[in-house]
Amino acid sequence: MFYRTSGQFKTTYESDQALFPIKQDMVLLVVILAAMYVIFPMFASEFTYKALLVPVLIYSLASLGLNILTGYAGQLSLGTAGFMGVGAYACYKITTIFPEMNIIVALFLSGFFSAAVGVAFGLPSLRIKGFYLAIATLASQFFLVWLFEKWAWLYNYNASGAIEVRTMDIFGLVVTGPNASPMVQYYFVLGIVSVVTFAMINLTRGRYGRTWKAVRDMDIAAELVGINLMRAKLSAFAVSSYIVGIAGALMVFFWKGAAEPNLFDIPMSFQIVFIAIIGGLGSVMGNFLGAILIVALPVVLNLLPEMLGLSIGSATMEHVNVMVVGSLIIMFLIVEPHGLARFWALIREKLIIWPFPH
Amino acid sequence: MKHFTNLGKAVAAGALAVAMSTAAMAADGLNFPNLTYRTGPFAGTGTPIMNGQRDYMLMLNERDGGIGGVPIDYIECETGYNTNKGVECYEKTKGAALVTQPWSTGITLQVMPRTNVDRIPILAPGYGFSPMSDGDTFAWAFNPPVSYWDGAYMILDYIAGGDMSSLKGKKIVLLHLDHPFGKEPIPLLEKLAEMHDFKLVPIPVGLKEMQNQSAQWLQIRRERPDNVVMWGWGAMNAGAITEAVKTRYPMENFIGIWWSGSDADLQNVGAKAKGYKSVSFNAPGNFPVLEDIRKHVVSKGNSEIKSEADMDTIFYQRGIIISMILAEAAKTAQDNFGEKNINAEQLRWGLENLDITAARLEELGMKGMTPPLKMACDNHTGHSGAWMLEWNGEEFVQASDLLTPNRELIKPLELEKAADYAKNNAPWPGRGDLACN
Repeated sequence: MFYRTSGQFKTTYESDQALFPIKQDMVLLVVILAAMYVIFPMFASEFTYKALLVPVLIYSLASLGLNILTGYAGQLSLGTAGFMGVGAYACYKITTIFPEMNIIVALFLSGFFSAAVGVAFGLPSLRIKGFYLAIATLASQFFLVWLFEKWAWLYNYNASGAIEVRTMDIFGLVVTGPNASPMVQYYFVLGIVSVVTFAMINLTRGRYGRTWKAVRDMDIAAELVGINLMRAKLSAFAVSSYIVGIAGALMVFFWKGAAEPNLFDIPMSFQIVFIAIIGGLGSVMGNFLGAILIVALPVVLNLLPEMLGLSIGSATMEHVNVMVVGSLIIMFLIVEPHGLARFWALIREKLIIWPFPH
Repeated sequence: MKHFTNLGKAVAAGALAVAMSTAAMAADGLNFPNLTYRTGPFAGTGTPIMNGQRDYMLMLNERDGGIGGVPIDYIECETGYNTNKGVECYEKTKGAALVTQPWSTGITLQVMPRTNVDRIPILAPGYGFSPMSDGDTFAWAFNPPVSYWDGAYMILDYIAGGDMSSLKGKKIVLLHLDHPFGKEPIPLLEKLAEMHDFKLVPIPVGLKEMQNQSAQWLQIRRERPDNVVMWGWGAMNAGAITEAVKTRYPMENFIGIWWSGSDADLQNVGAKAKGYKSVSFNAPGNFPVLEDIRKHVVSKGNSEIKSEADMDTIFYQRGIIISMILAEAAKTAQDNFGEKNINAEQLRWGLENLDITAARLEELGMKGMTPPLKMACDNHTGHSGAWMLEWNGEEFVQASDLLTPNRELIKPLELEKAADYAKNNAPWPGRGDLACN
């Protein structure tokens, strides 16, 4: 009834291959984009930007990167946080060596460093698969964090051992550092996330996406039909690490403002794997849904008792929070093992035929 | 389409509610948030300190009706020592906050640039980083009463028995957490090693191997150092002390920084750790202030401590000292500005001009609990000194007279690193328009 697809005829190949062949999907997307670009900034406080909106976007982007590799190309990776670190440190070095460079250029350049490192650590994937590959990427995780700690050149021999972000502007508008308005930073992150997401939706629908999916579903069959496995796997590592690197740079430059090496340690890798799995492997939208559940929900839950006028100790609330989020994750995985994106797909299917059961 | 508009409404309403709830937090009184870590891997060290901090503030509210008659609105926001949560908590509490207490070097680094813009003083007692002492660079940051470099100097001074030249030819191991916090003393120790011709061997302990330090202690056994100095945190302390006992390292040559001196870490090994030392800016004892807390908070069941014996621990009492410093700064500001409801900028002045004399300590019932502390515009630490405490098998006892850092030696290093920080975070505002007194 609300999602009726009857009457929407495709008369050309273009309209059949459109990004959103169903009109309602398009409307939904416009509503979401309008909410993100117009409605949220009208109400959001500094806290909302810094604790909810910006982190959700950055984690979604990182998870999108991982999803390219794990969800689309089927290569399990536990080194996401390490690659994020490469992006962040590369961006830091680029902006300190070339202080005049525009931060957008630096950001997209830093992605190439993480892509290169990603490809290097992706080489074992040509020989090993599954859990064995996961261990190889885990090794990259340990190695990279160790490198961030030991290689003082990376943090400019800083006494604090951390990377710190100075104030930078784009055409006079301050975007990083303490003086940047959270709204500007939000729009910046949102813009980059939108562009990358749009590019990835198209990439995964196209030739590369299909090659990756073929490799994921059965690599021998893919090889037999003429897919170059090496190129497919390494391109997945490159694209994935590129996005993850940008997410890492965004995290330090547009959200946190400073980072210690151990920020990029295993807990964050796992967090991003959880987002990708709970959101749904092999889906773009799932990353956003997963990030909302894993990143934003605990923050909102923390605010609940205060809104309801209850006084619960902050530490107690933290324990409750861990329990609630944990059981929600288990519940969602039982209800729909393929993740939230699949959950939404089912709802959508039901809506299309509603109110008739068949 | 109804479905979507409803969803949109719900989302917008949610965002609105979030936006409003942060604004509604402002309450009457002196708003002192604390970014606690009572959960997570470091909760063992955090909880007793936070209990001490909280109980002192509650006691002031009960006994005196707050500070200068204005009640204290003491708020805890749990970070679990996680830097992501740190941003969240800082943003959540900063609206009405007079001060921010980030309680982690990582969170401090993230928050410090913001405090200049939000104009909120940052109080990092006994942690943060040593160059924060330079008030002309870090106008809003305070790390009383002593910094890590002071601590490193005082430990060596104690080892040398007051005569640094006697260190010549000795070998000293620095067993440290491989993390910005643990690496903090290295620049100063290297400088001292060069000046006094002793050999410094830093041995890092990774965050993941805190509880299993057999490799590090094997190396210590091989090196046969004259002393081991420890910069440990959380689970690392108990790990190191157990290993030291196991490898029979002579405990009297093993000295920790103040965060490596928690009773809980030593109680497991008890008498076997006899002789272990830790430098501390608070001395244990039964002080009158503890009676007041017992009477007004603990006996009324308002404290979060598990048993009254917790009040005798070093870390609990250190929490009291930390809250006392903040309360005295608020009082200093109130007296100077003649206003009871001070703002964050006035509290900053209060911290900068804080002068806790020996007489004042006696009034507070804290005589001998911590050294007198005096801050200044170019001295945001106070550098009041510390005592060496020794584990007698059951508890920590004071083992030295007051040790003080050699400021002539440390200050140039602080100024140099402060200038580096300002350069890395350019344009750094520095003192700006803030008057000095």
